[in-house]
Amino acid sequence: MTIKELISDLQDFYLLSSRGLSGLMRKPFYFKDTIEQMDYAGTGSFIIVLLVSLFIGMALSLQLSAELSGLGLKMYIGKIVGVSIIREIGPVMAGLVFAGRVGSGMASELGSMILGHQVDTLRVFGVDPVKKLVTPRILSSLIMLPALTIVGDAVSILGGYYIAVFVSLQSSPFYWSSIQDVLNFENVLSGSIKPFIFGYLIACISCYMGLSTKGGALGLRRATTRAVVVSFVMVIVADFILTRILLYVLGFSV
Amino acid sequence: MIEFDHVWFSYGAREVLRDISFSIDFHEKVAILGGSGDGKTTILKLIMGLLRSDSGKILIDGEDISTKTEGELREIRMKFSLVFQEGALFDSLNVKENVAFALREYMNLSEEEVDQRVRTLLKRVDLEDAMELMPEELSGGMHRRVAIIRSLATIEPKMFLYDEPTTGLDPVNADTICKLILTLSREGKGFIIVTHKIFDAFKLVHRFIFLKNGTIIFDGQKEKMIDSSIPEIQIFLNELSPRPKATASIDVGERNV
Repeated sequence: MTIKELISDLQDFYLLSSRGLSGLMRKPFYFKDTIEQMDYAGTGSFIIVLLVSLFIGMALSLQLSAELSGLGLKMYIGKIVGVSIIREIGPVMAGLVFAGRVGSGMASELGSMILGHQVDTLRVFGVDPVKKLVTPRILSSLIMLPALTIVGDAVSILGGYYIAVFVSLQSSPFYWSSIQDVLNFENVLSGSIKPFIFGYLIACISCYMGLSTKGGALGLRRATTRAVVVSFVMVIVADFILTRILLYVLGFSV
Repeated sequence: MIEFDHVWFSYGAREVLRDISFSIDFHEKVAILGGSGDGKTTILKLIMGLLRSDSGKILIDGEDISTKTEGELREIRMKFSLVFQEGALFDSLNVKENVAFALREYMNLSEEEVDQRVRTLLKRVDLEDAMELMPEELSGGMHRRVAIIRSLATIEPKMFLYDEPTTGLDPVNADTICKLILTLSREGKGFIIVTHKIFDAFKLVHRFIFLKNGTIIFDGQKEKMIDSSIPEIQIFLNELSPRPKATASIDVGERNV
């Protein structure tokens, strides 16, 4: 890829992202399409997020237990699990699961619509494909990824609880009071902003990759792979940038 | 009238159309022939404003469409009914929803009115019973018929544009589609058919435009084309050569098969 092509791609991506978002404020509103996308993105990903969150919470608690017991600091398990899940692991993990499942689905669906001339058919009918296809996917991601993150956080904390109380034999009330301590405004805000940004990025990247599909089945495979890979990388990069900004804004000293 | 005036078009570094010029009246019946990748479908997309030419002018009723915005192009597109290769039905919608798509999008009709209208349209192509079927449950011929009738749901086009309407179909289904195309054009409406099936094109049109490597190598009437000595055209015409008569039969006792 030449620099010229890269700049052209970035420009097209920016245009698609901004037009997709501004579509939220322009008529017509495709409620049915949005509900369908929410069902696919949210309900369909629910069990996966639940499972992944549970085992990540348990693994994290187990690791902390092993490390902190040597230092006699096992009582901090709840606090560390809570902070790391709410502020960092929960949003990133939900974002990655979402990119893998929903982002790939968006890219392959739109890609096959491009190859089957269905997107051209929309234009022939005078329908704006961005408004009809991209905006509902952005909106559904903006709603469902934060919702999945909240559920995932809760399940991870429960997984951490199981290990802390039944394996590391910590006091149950103490674990919950530690969790309560970390559920303050700063931590919750920090963990709540990220999934909105991740959802927006994943939907825009996946739609862009899908709509720029060229070259048959091979092109579709390439577009889907690129959608997932770029979404993964962007979620992690955005997480670092957001963490840096939020820590500064919320007054944490680093 | 559609006018192409020295139009050039390329996909990236690959030149698809080179200095194309022709004009077609809305009432004409024209076939654009050529091999795969010779730019036949690209011409239809350029007419509809789905692609923009690199240079040259494309005039629809005297208006240059190459400078028009997507919103302005909508008016131009209403003059045509374009049916893509293999129909391009929406996968996630059943036959009824596909036909009703534009009705729901643009016309403020009640569900009963939509239902009634869809039934009437599907009846014209004998697919009234297929309303609840999904596109993947349709045969190739049914697919094309739904696509053709869907394109007429909301508009009264001046001209029909068909992209390979009979490709991949058996002779019986191809013949059904040809008859449907002729039926729809009875009210003096013309059509452009893009195809590489010269046998079907001969049933439908009198004017032929032949493309090779993105340039027009022939533009004329059927008779002139038959007499043409251009090798590429001769290869296409070989498809029309008289076939061996089906006189041979296999004797299986008293029955001839």
